[in-house]
Amino acid sequence: MSVLVAVLVVGLGSLALRAAPLLVAAHVPDRVARAAGWAGTSVIAALVVRAVVHHEVENLPAAPLVAAVAVAAGLVVAARGRSVLTALAVGLSVHLALTLALTAGP
Amino acid sequence: MTLLATTRSAPPVGTEVVAGARAMAPVIVAFVPFALVVGAGIARSAEPWAAWSGTWAIYGGAAHVAVLDVLAAGGGWLTAAAVGLLVNVRLVAYAAAMAPAWRSVSPGRRLLAAVVLTDAPWAMARGRGDAERAFYAGAAGLLFLAWPVLVSVGVVVGDAWQSLPGAGLLVPLTLGAVVVPQLRHRQAAAAASAAAVAAVVTSGADLGLGMLVAAAAGVVAGTLSGAPTERAA
Repeated sequence: MSVLVAVLVVGLGSLALRAAPLLVAAHVPDRVARAAGWAGTSVIAALVVRAVVHHEVENLPAAPLVAAVAVAAGLVVAARGRSVLTALAVGLSVHLALTLALTAGP
Repeated sequence: MTLLATTRSAPPVGTEVVAGARAMAPVIVAFVPFALVVGAGIARSAEPWAAWSGTWAIYGGAAHVAVLDVLAAGGGWLTAAAVGLLVNVRLVAYAAAMAPAWRSVSPGRRLLAAVVLTDAPWAMARGRGDAERAFYAGAAGLLFLAWPVLVSVGVVVGDAWQSLPGAGLLVPLTLGAVVVPQLRHRQAAAAASAAAVAAVVTSGADLGLGMLVAAAAGVVAGTLSGAPTERAA
């Protein structure tokens, strides 16, 4: 029962969070909407950074650094107008190459 | 009922809906490992069907996993719900940012747009002018249909893929690639930079709290980096 109640509460609450600003959209000032846009972009940036900081790979102590380089490579590709899949391929390739290089035995 | 309302200058609605769906398709591929993680969490739940209902009810992988993790660790529904809502509080920022583009649309259509709102379609539709609503409808609609399917697959096959090298970077790479075009604007770049610093500082904190701090830092940085006339407005 706990799972069902938790899911329902989070579900209804999340719907309220999603719907409230849109249902009163006429009363949301443009500068508030602009600031909300920065907040949204900031949250996504934070999600990316947290994933990098918390990245773990077995036998790779520098995993967060490898992740940072890989993500940076992918984002540079994306910034140059390439597709999301291309950015993913570049990022993952860099990650794989660095991981193999740093975890290879003597 | 559709999400769409056309204007004289808007590109063909159907074309933009399809464009949104096509742009979302590769993003969905990137979300597969994360969906499998959520599905595996559902499979381990004491109430799998109730947990599965969260795929549409909660409609947010991070919040869904957070709720299931708290419950699995012995936490009560109230604690789990609080954590889930804290993780999802960013949705109010997304919706507020969408408000100007959706003012002219009926309340029913705005509610539909809210139901399918999440990170990727929000970020992908931004900055598309008159095409924003139609593009969003295609992208968000496709993800809303695909996500429960992917999670259901995860319930069956588990999260073995999570152990593959780099699997943990698929979602952040995808979201980052989707957001990068927005960073051409000075204020958005300032906001993202401040949020990145805040994320490092709060990396040991709870996910929801970390995102709140990052959002606040981003809003402050975005505001301060505007022109003096903009700041005074």
